[in-house]
Amino acid sequence: MGENLGYALVQIAHNFGAVAVLGGAIFARWPTPATRQSGRRIARLVLAGWIIQIASGIGFGAASYFYYGRLPDIHGLAVAALFVKIGCAITGVVLTAVYLKREPDWADTQRGNSWIALALLAALALTAAAFLRWFS
Amino acid sequence: MKKKIAALGALFVSLGLVSAAYAQTGSVKILSPADGAKLDAFEQNHVRYEVVPGPNADHVHLYVDGKETAILRGLKGSHALETLAPGKHELCVKVVNKAHVPIGVEQCITAQVE
Repeated sequence: MGENLGYALVQIAHNFGAVAVLGGAIFARWPTPATRQSGRRIARLVLAGWIIQIASGIGFGAASYFYYGRLPDIHGLAVAALFVKIGCAITGVVLTAVYLKREPDWADTQRGNSWIALALLAALALTAAAFLRWFS
Repeated sequence: MKKKIAALGALFVSLGLVSAAYAQTGSVKILSPADGAKLDAFEQNHVRYEVVPGPNADHVHLYVDGKETAILRGLKGSHALETLAPGKHELCVKVVNKAHVPIGVEQCITAQVE
């Protein structure tokens, strides 16, 4: 009961983080490109989403350690998928932070390309998540 | 207020006891090879197993010499082993939870490959 609740709470954070990073990046481009002001708000949401992804990812490991005194037992392709997810999350945080810092000096094309890159990173992370789930 | 806290505490203790009782119901049996069995290095060897998962269980991992070599989705079945080098090997079947953490329901045997 307590174990399932613990994992479920971490999973809730992880799911909402995933929605924020992918949905935010897509919404900034489509159906209409976001204005500079709304783009900054979305960037803050996406940054929060990536940070939540990292924190909740650590949370899965922490919950496992708390309940069983050990980390999840994954091998092979699952480990590769985990590293892809970690790489996406770190790159996502850096790219969003750079966006928030440098965006005032950028052209619309650069802003647009940043959102495409962030959406692709999020899509890659979600794809890797499926491999992590089912190949371990 | 104190009564509510006491009732809540009792509820958690009860849930813990129920969980503990359920936890003892999980089991793993490696039906073959038998512990200490001799296997032919040139044969296709199989592990036959039977699992009663218990609570918090999700799926089963097969380990050869401590390394995960297969994910077993069925609770009962047979799995073909990869070619094993001659020598002593440890085979383990462990029940894991949704986060892929072994939950302590497992059986390990050793086999001599010749």
